[in-house]
Amino acid sequence: MQQRITKNKVPLIAIAGQPNSGKTTLFNHLSGKKFKTVNYPGSTVEYSISKILTKFSINANILDSPGIISLIPSSPDEELSVNTLYAHPDYGKPDIVVVTVDSSQISRHLYLVRQLINSRFNVIIVLTMLDLLHKKGYDISESKLSEILKCDVIKINSKSGEGIDELLSSVNRNIHNLENENGSVEVVKNPPEDKENLLKSYSEIGHIEADVIFPMKETPQLKEPDIQKINESLVVLNNPRLFQKPDEFTLKLDKIVLHKFWGLIIFFLTMLIMFTSIFYVAAPLMDLVNEAFSFLSDSADSILGDTWYGNLISQGAISGVGSVLVFLPQILILFLILGLLEDSGFLARGAMLIDKPLSKIGLNGKSFVPMLSGFACAIPAIMASRTITNKRERFLTIFIIPLMSCSARLPVYAILIAFLIPQDKAFTGGLILTVIYIFSIASSVIIASVINKFSDVFLRSNDNSSFILELPAYRMPKIKRAVTNMFSNAKQYIFKAGPVILYLSLIIWILTYLPNYNPVVDGTGKSEQEIVSLKNSERIATSYASHLGNLIEPVMKPIGMDWRVGVSLIATFAAREVFVSSLTLIFKVTDTGEDIQNSLLSAMRNATFENTEVKIFTTATTAGLIVFFIFALQCLSTVAISRKETGSWRIPVLQIVVFTSIAYILAFVTVNGLRFFGIN
Amino acid sequence: MLKTEHYDLMRTAADMKIGEKAIIEDIDNSHPSSHRLMEIGFTPGQEIVMLNKTVFNDPISFSIRGTIIAIRKNEAVSIII
Ligand SMILES: Nc1nc2c(ncn2[C@@H]2O[C@H](COP(=O)(O)OP(=O)(O)OP(=O)(O)O)[C@@H](O)[C@H]2O)c(=O)[nH]1
Ligand SMILES: [Mg+2]
Repeated sequence: MQQRITKNKVPLIAIAGQPNSGKTTLFNHLSGKKFKTVNYPGSTVEYSISKILTKFSINANILDSPGIISLIPSSPDEELSVNTLYAHPDYGKPDIVVVTVDSSQISRHLYLVRQLINSRFNVIIVLTMLDLLHKKGYDISESKLSEILKCDVIKINSKSGEGIDELLSSVNRNIHNLENENGSVEVVKNPPEDKENLLKSYSEIGHIEADVIFPMKETPQLKEPDIQKINESLVVLNNPRLFQKPDEFTLKLDKIVLHKFWGLIIFFLTMLIMFTSIFYVAAPLMDLVNEAFSFLSDSADSILGDTWYGNLISQGAISGVGSVLVFLPQILILFLILGLLEDSGFLARGAMLIDKPLSKIGLNGKSFVPMLSGFACAIPAIMASRTITNKRERFLTIFIIPLMSCSARLPVYAILIAFLIPQDKAFTGGLILTVIYIFSIASSVIIASVINKFSDVFLRSNDNSSFILELPAYRMPKIKRAVTNMFSNAKQYIFKAGPVILYLSLIIWILTYLPNYNPVVDGTGKSEQEIVSLKNSERIATSYASHLGNLIEPVMKPIGMDWRVGVSLIATFAAREVFVSSLTLIFKVTDTGEDIQNSLLSAMRNATFENTEVKIFTTATTAGLIVFFIFALQCLSTVAISRKETGSWRIPVLQIVVFTSIAYILAFVTVNGLRFFGIN
Repeated sequence: MLKTEHYDLMRTAADMKIGEKAIIEDIDNSHPSSHRLMEIGFTPGQEIVMLNKTVFNDPISFSIRGTIIAIRKNEAVSIII
């Protein structure tokens, strides 16, 4: 662990600090990246590294780290986090550690700073959240703090860029010093602290705090005596600890948000508004996307004509991708609302509110944020579970996260709901979607408590369950930031899911178009359109997809589906959304001149089991499909991340077996139950 | 080392009423969360204010060292006031 920088090694600057102290905000500013910043302790769970932007003219790597409370870890995960700070597996020991310190609560944050200094890291202190301290009527002297701790102290505001220049010159100075240093300093690990040392450390910090924090109001001049001003400053001076009072506005708002009655109402209303607006707010935007893609597909058709490549481009590529991207607005609205919630500080309150009921079923209040982000995507959600210190609770959270209705299921639900309800009753659609969400949450509660009952068999861990969570000061969510965030999410979604959907659409197109690409049909006495449609049916019936489908038909029959739905279901294991594009490709035999979405709906209405008049999509089978999608674990990436985060195959295999069998059995029960009651 | 029973008769942070202020007297070492509680600032001599309980009366939130921290009741009992 050599401290010296050789001239040709790029220096590594690590940003470390307590949770929610503004590390990622600073990292984003210096690196130009757009990592998630959340007003919740524990938003960053992974180390990420980047070059400092060239405009800052420092050639160095910068490392963002998950927030830590102390250098002495109290759980295996924290241990990993702390060890990585001492020596990153790829980049080694950081040459400089920039510690973010929330100025509005410096005593808690200086605790870690002292540990870092004692470990002989090269520390630069960065004071954040000065606006919060100023709001309390206090300021902090960086020069005094610098003098006491013998390291550079810089006040910054990463949002406006204030203080960044000073930080950079301090970094430059430090790098320069390191390059010229002859001897090498080694970092040492802090020995585990006993109670006595810990308390001694805090009492020293108490003195430092009293030295550096001062009231902003000047002692009034004697020339113009103003009784009120004198009184005000006397109050401040006589209560030196008044700066230890939390944010005034936050205290007031908490009285409502954590109120026994109103708190619960606010919690449920927030969740309800979130889920229903996904449906209602997105509708007009979806029409736009739908029309745009229909126009593209029609243009491609008219330019290229009825050729195989015309069909490939208009059907395989444009309609395939378009049928899924129609639902992008819904996903965007979900991200927007989540973003606003994340900024506000509400998430920590939600976690506190729901800790008791969740602990009854073996989860933790800290499961709330991962579960909520599971509605966007299971992968970051499973990673977010790292903030749960108790292993059993963390594994159980990971286990049920795939049941949260992720955004990839939205397109599937939306098309199935659209099929179920009459066009003019759009209101019912939002209601059904909300019911689906509530149903999936309720199921996850039941499944969690069952698994918890057998936790000795399934989870095999039983350490101390704990809930200690800082409730950060409320902040007005910045609409502009949330919107930018939403678009960067959209971009990510399009670039990640888009190619998968495109490739699969093309594969399915090939499977349905070959080998009998030019089928011979008896066209006597039929119109041209009927001939095209006959050809299409014949082509699909003799296609590779059909051969493949016949193998799975026996499994599909009991849940009221045929091989064509089966092929679409198999395709969903790469990405759930592909279900929609696959249906579009397999069922659409006639060109009805409608837009993409409506032509798929008509195709579904007309689809019958081969050589019969029996309709495939009925109320019963569609409801069965929805139930199937609620439970089935059709996502390979989720399985992979679950394996990675739990460190073995036990949980992911259990997830596949449990969820897929529940999905199949309940779909069977739904379809046949509804039929039994005469609903077809 | 003191045993838990010695504290049975003492008041702890879990007994505080909403809005009540108190100075922490000691932290019960035998509690598994005690070390973490001290690290985040619940140290003897420190003033805390009980702020809120949820509908379920648990967890409870305290004002401490310029911020608000929520902890479970069974953790608050290790904070002797
Ligand atoms: N008022 C105020 N808010 C800030 C400031 N800097 C960052 N924030 C906000 O504080 C919250 C936390 O910021 P992050 O950068 O995510 O904090 P972090 O240290 O990375 O947090 P973890 O990853 O959870 O450890 C976000 O909501 C930021 O927008 C600041 O100087 N003043
Ligand atoms: Mg962060």
